[in-house]
Amino acid sequence: MTIEATTERHSLGHRMKRKEDPRFLQGQGRYVEDIMLPGMLHAAIVRSPYAHATLRNIDTAEALKVPGVVAVITGKDLEAAGLGWLPTFHGLDKQMVLAIGKVLFQYQEVAAVFAESRAAALDGAEAVEVEYDALPVVADPFTAKQDEVILRPDREKKTNHIYHWEVGDRDATAKALEGSATRVKQRIWFQRCHPAPLEPCGCVAHFDTMGRLHFYVTSQAPHVYRTALALVTGIPEDKIHVISPDIGGGFGNKVPVYPGYVCAVVGALKLGRPVKWIESRTENLTSTGFARDYHMDVELGADGDGRLTALRVSTAADHGAFDAAADPTKYPAGMFGVVTGSYDVPVAHAEVDAYFTNKAPGGIAYRCSFRVTEASYAIERAMDILADEVGMDPVELRRKNFIRKEQFPYKSVLGFTYDSGDYHKTLDKALEQIGYQDLLKEQAEKRARGELTGIGFSTFTEVVGAGPSKHFDILGIKMFDSAEIRIHPTGAGIVRAGTKSQGQGHETTWAQIVAEELGLDPQNIMVEEGDTDTAPYGLGTYASRSTPVAGAAIATAARRIREKAKKIAAHLLEVGEGDVEWTDYRFQVKGVPAKSVTMKEIAFAAYTNPGPNEPGLEATNYYDPPNMTFPYGTYIAVVDVDRETGEVKVRRFLAVDDCGTVINPLIVEGQIHGGLTEGFAIAFMQEIQYDREGNNLNTNFTDYLIPTSLETPHWETGNTVTPSPHHPIGAKGVGESPNVGSPAAFVNAVVDALSPLGVRHLEMPLTRDKVWRAIREAEKR
Amino acid sequence: MNLQYNGQEQIPADPDTVWAFVNDPDKVGHCLPEVIEVTVHDPRHFDALVRVGVGPVRGKFRMKFELQPDEAARRINMKISGGGLGSAIDLTAGSDVVPAPQGGGTLLNWSGEAVMRGPVAAVGGRVLDAQAKKLIEQTFANVRTRLS
Repeated sequence: MTIEATTERHSLGHRMKRKEDPRFLQGQGRYVEDIMLPGMLHAAIVRSPYAHATLRNIDTAEALKVPGVVAVITGKDLEAAGLGWLPTFHGLDKQMVLAIGKVLFQYQEVAAVFAESRAAALDGAEAVEVEYDALPVVADPFTAKQDEVILRPDREKKTNHIYHWEVGDRDATAKALEGSATRVKQRIWFQRCHPAPLEPCGCVAHFDTMGRLHFYVTSQAPHVYRTALALVTGIPEDKIHVISPDIGGGFGNKVPVYPGYVCAVVGALKLGRPVKWIESRTENLTSTGFARDYHMDVELGADGDGRLTALRVSTAADHGAFDAAADPTKYPAGMFGVVTGSYDVPVAHAEVDAYFTNKAPGGIAYRCSFRVTEASYAIERAMDILADEVGMDPVELRRKNFIRKEQFPYKSVLGFTYDSGDYHKTLDKALEQIGYQDLLKEQAEKRARGELTGIGFSTFTEVVGAGPSKHFDILGIKMFDSAEIRIHPTGAGIVRAGTKSQGQGHETTWAQIVAEELGLDPQNIMVEEGDTDTAPYGLGTYASRSTPVAGAAIATAARRIREKAKKIAAHLLEVGEGDVEWTDYRFQVKGVPAKSVTMKEIAFAAYTNPGPNEPGLEATNYYDPPNMTFPYGTYIAVVDVDRETGEVKVRRFLAVDDCGTVINPLIVEGQIHGGLTEGFAIAFMQEIQYDREGNNLNTNFTDYLIPTSLETPHWETGNTVTPSPHHPIGAKGVGESPNVGSPAAFVNAVVDALSPLGVRHLEMPLTRDKVWRAIREAEKR
Repeated sequence: MNLQYNGQEQIPADPDTVWAFVNDPDKVGHCLPEVIEVTVHDPRHFDALVRVGVGPVRGKFRMKFELQPDEAARRINMKISGGGLGSAIDLTAGSDVVPAPQGGGTLLNWSGEAVMRGPVAAVGGRVLDAQAKKLIEQTFANVRTRLS
């Protein structure tokens, strides 16, 4: 048998087309909704129209008469079974599965109906009669702070205040601000928004005849679900099999465990039949994890030359009815400490106080690494306000205060060690690519004609890849990730990882890493994720952690395979191991290129002729990252604002990213295009609003907008490469950078456009009416 | 969502007749637009099943009514609560029943306040306000028609 040398060995950096796309583009993806099991029941959930009310009575008699309805369960039933409450993501609070005693937010889960069809389940849900007594509603954190109405009497502390978190030097920061030549202060609100994945959440729960639970679910972290289910239900973990099939977008929304999942499992157990629960668009927008909702008071100080002297941020966070924020257990405010951004800030202090309100619980990261977007928006917005105050070009103010490349690894005053960066280089590249000098000239001409045009910058730094086990855990489980690689006799292979792609392209990226490390063809490296029976234990995909953590595990496992392959190579080449070297994607006898073996030949030998070595060719790695990674970028938005209508046109947008080593430029660009489109939506369209009665006013896609190709601007991209020194292949992760970095660029551009009218700050989303009002009010002054 | 309404309606019947009419649960119940069924419990309480269509929210709402007449002041107050399709509505309404200063008959000086919760509230100011106003006006128009 002859084995041909592989033709596409060098894999890193190739614009390889995504291996998963033919499947998706032909409608062959397999989602939870596609799972159909014999005898399957459907669940529907009765939800509260009240934001805060005492639950007087639930009458299920009429619902049980609806043809097809099999059973109805309420909070009382669950409480009797010891399943009334569910621990939240980080374990610091608990959440009602179905309302017990009272409801705390509109659309809260009150009862679950099980029926032969989804239509019957919905009819049954409509027939459940619930009596409520309305209670006063707390719809914002500032009212919550007054503690006039206590929302959570079930908690030991009789207050709406959840936690206080702070970092930095409070006194030194106050002193430095007082002594600064210039000080600016601004209340900046990052509005409540929702990730709104196109596929909403759902699951199918099925107990087989051996009593083993097979749980198909839209989960970004299937292993964590398995452990959480075992802890909550008491079912032994070996009797739980969690499967995340294809996922239609997650963006953090599919990290938490939701009440509907628990209801489906209870229903399947109680009724002895599989149960499917798929939420509607409205249920997704109104009851599952929202993002942001941070009210930030930001203060910056500078000396006479515009050099930063201090930063202070004080935040009121609206967490809704339960503290279900998805943050690592020891980091209630996530990575908010990265609020010093790309700047060499000598002293700083940041604090966050979180409150309960009568709104949906959450505080998940919407394509962001645990509150990095809020932090990045705060500092990038504040830098522009400071530039306006001191009369400097915002680009020059940034350049003057950037952490310099020789300062890396850079220890920030708020405790992070930035791994690598060359901020000046990336900024210069972006300025050249967009033609900044020409834009300034054009802006001056337009302004002279009375036109409103703006240029906005965001030179952000992210912190991703959680994280080192000494700091990061969820419910005590360290935030490592894992990979298992098996190479088959013919040189093909399979990679299994603890992560779970939701559209990020892992089937391609992971294969490319293995191909690069082993000199194999990435087309023949299969990637499998999401099945807890087969994948090694991992913490999942969110917070841009897949490439920094699981990507490192894959590279490390591949290198272990290469070490073993070296022994087999020595056997095949009939030399000592010390005489063999890895050169040009093959093992050769040192200094004798003619005497070499390929990985494909070694793979075959591993099963047919391993010599003194253990047969087989596989390896596993659990990777505990030594540090986080710090991708960064310079984003520039150019906008024209119509003075009469308030309409904003994003004329140009350039994103120059540095995410370290690029594995697949095509996928990286795709991620950036997608993230910029979300950032654009947040800046101009998206907000989950509540009225004073706690009514959610954005319950569907006519009121909560997703940009289509018609609204979306043309994205220009570029990159620089500053590898991470501690990652095995130098990659940093990129999925979230565009969502983290872009909102500030958009807002800075609109405010710059309106600055001749004296406008200094506007709150997102910058809808036409808001911009129009700002122009009219400014003209009155 | 909080909505407030008020207005006047002239009825071509004498105040005593109108007063008796608005104190009769069965009669008042059948003046509701799109009413399907009225169930009278006692002289002060009745339930009504009404068909509702507000934007995407379409179906039946079950409403409980309580009449609170003030004989001395000739003022009738009404407390209404109920809902359907995952929405809840609480209404308070009141009207003076007085002789019309011009043109004869009776003048109803009415005002009302509604609190909407659930999907019906999310429909918001776009259609809810106009729709609610139309329903109230239709109710009084029905009272007028029946007494004409």
